[in-house]
Amino acid sequence: MKVLTRAHKKIKDLHPHEAIAPGTGLCAGCGGLEGLRLGLKELDDDFLICNAAGCFTLLSVYPFTPLQGSWLYTTMGGPVPAAQGVRDALDIRMRYRGLEEKENLQVIVVAGDGSSNDIGFGATSAAIHRGLDFIYFCYDNEAYGNTGFQLSAASPYGGATQTTPRTDEHEAGTEVNKKDLFEIWKAQKPVYLATVSPREPIDLSNKFARANELKGPRMFICMSPCPTGWGFEPKEAQLIAKLAVDTGIFPIKEYFEGEVVHTVRPRKRLPVEKFLERQKRFRHLFEPHRQEETIRQIQNRVDDYWRQYE
Amino acid sequence: MWRIRIHGRGGQGIKTASQILGSAGFYSGFQAQDFPLYGAERRGAPVIAFTRVSEDPILERGPISSPDIILIGDETLLNDPQSAPLCGAEPSTVVFVNSAQVPEVLSQKFSVTTTNLTDLCFQYLNHRTVYSSALSAVGARLLGNIELECLLRAVEDELIQQGISSQLLQGNLDLAREIFEMIQPVAVSQREEKGLTAKPLVFPSQLPVVDGAPIILDPGNMALRKTGNWRVERPEIDYEKCNNCLICYARCPDGVIGVAPDGRPEIDYDHCKGCLICALECPGHFIHTVKETGTFP
Repeated sequence: MKVLTRAHKKIKDLHPHEAIAPGTGLCAGCGGLEGLRLGLKELDDDFLICNAAGCFTLLSVYPFTPLQGSWLYTTMGGPVPAAQGVRDALDIRMRYRGLEEKENLQVIVVAGDGSSNDIGFGATSAAIHRGLDFIYFCYDNEAYGNTGFQLSAASPYGGATQTTPRTDEHEAGTEVNKKDLFEIWKAQKPVYLATVSPREPIDLSNKFARANELKGPRMFICMSPCPTGWGFEPKEAQLIAKLAVDTGIFPIKEYFEGEVVHTVRPRKRLPVEKFLERQKRFRHLFEPHRQEETIRQIQNRVDDYWRQYE
Repeated sequence: MWRIRIHGRGGQGIKTASQILGSAGFYSGFQAQDFPLYGAERRGAPVIAFTRVSEDPILERGPISSPDIILIGDETLLNDPQSAPLCGAEPSTVVFVNSAQVPEVLSQKFSVTTTNLTDLCFQYLNHRTVYSSALSAVGARLLGNIELECLLRAVEDELIQQGISSQLLQGNLDLAREIFEMIQPVAVSQREEKGLTAKPLVFPSQLPVVDGAPIILDPGNMALRKTGNWRVERPEIDYEKCNNCLICYARCPDGVIGVAPDGRPEIDYDHCKGCLICALECPGHFIHTVKETGTFP
């Protein structure tokens, strides 16, 4: 069965509804907030967000909430178990306690890459295994951003973080590769799995609209350019997101019914330097001397990835 | 001991300014302490950092509630209740504001110095508004007991740690030197430490869940919090040329660009944080940026 509706074709088709009110304490130019904002436009307001500790802790600061729906704050490892609890409670009450269908909520997990790749990783795997009916939104800014940008399993090779700075012994900064969360999740065959970028609002909206029609584990990884941690001017957030797609560093794809499809393909891939050179976390690759070998390794990794699909 | 409190916004180098000032004091032979207020150190959000400089060992800890010198890096913070830069100021407190004018209301109460650091930073730092070296130079000069070479050494040390380019470092050093020569020292009197005190022991009591758990029952009330004063520059749509493509509406992370009934994009200035993504992304460049100027309390 492949009845996949492409609802949106242009910007003006975007849903006019804003599910997130302005006034949050998140950084100006936050790429993850833009992704969540566009995504929630496609869902109706009957949702409950289980929010892992992280940057998005700042979404709701007591006594204020930006959301039209509900928000449950959890520990960094606990958003998915919380989602399971909420889902079960709703199901049991609907079945045995006369809770009406219209009181049902869409359970959404919002977690950063630290929670998704490291601390909450096992619980998420278990939930996909059980087939929990939920949407998972991972805003991936490639480090523990809220505490000052420390290394996470999503930090890319060659980038500097607070715990892996460039030193004479470790010239590249981070010397391990980013965990491929998409492939790991894909191996468990969730109902729907997609990567999204705030720079591609139409693609993002279509993917959320599709996920809204499905049941079961629906996973999203959102590229989230982070002006504070990555070191660029807030106004360039979307430009950086665009370069991540155009250089092929961040492939935009979806997994549905056993098939991976790249929904936005870079026409002609730009060299990775175009993406790297604009960010402070990669500056040591260019100054004081150019680290050819490190840049080549990053480029090779991107090339190897795309060779599988070209 | 001299207590210095620095106010500004995330991304303006406020924390670094306190570090440079601390190091400069240390190199001048004093004991020093510097730290930011932990919390929402977000780009654009109000940020506070502290430096203590003393001839004797510093036993005092924690935020400075009654400072001797207040350095305000962003004049728009003056009437921001969240930041409250003048909180705890006494008539003897020396206040510095990064501004082109001397606010009258302030100069009646305090000894106020102002300099337009923003223009100087634009000139020396290649159009960046990062006040780390500028504010620390102001603080060092106002104190009057820190040598220029100690300040420059501190600027170099702290900024190299942050991976700054050599060209920008030179700009920072020139900027610090220029400001150091421009500002006149003010006699800042030393105040002794207060004796250490402990709070009486409080026994915990059990509260019902309604009182103990934070529950919010008003969806979307975050809009009551105005983030409009985070802006350094304001985006303005040129409606004569705007063709309502709504790219700005789609790209605004905070969702503060709404669509009017006639299809025009409209910016909500109460909440716009001034990230200026809209200005950069507008295909025809029909969104201009205008520098915000402060309003005084």
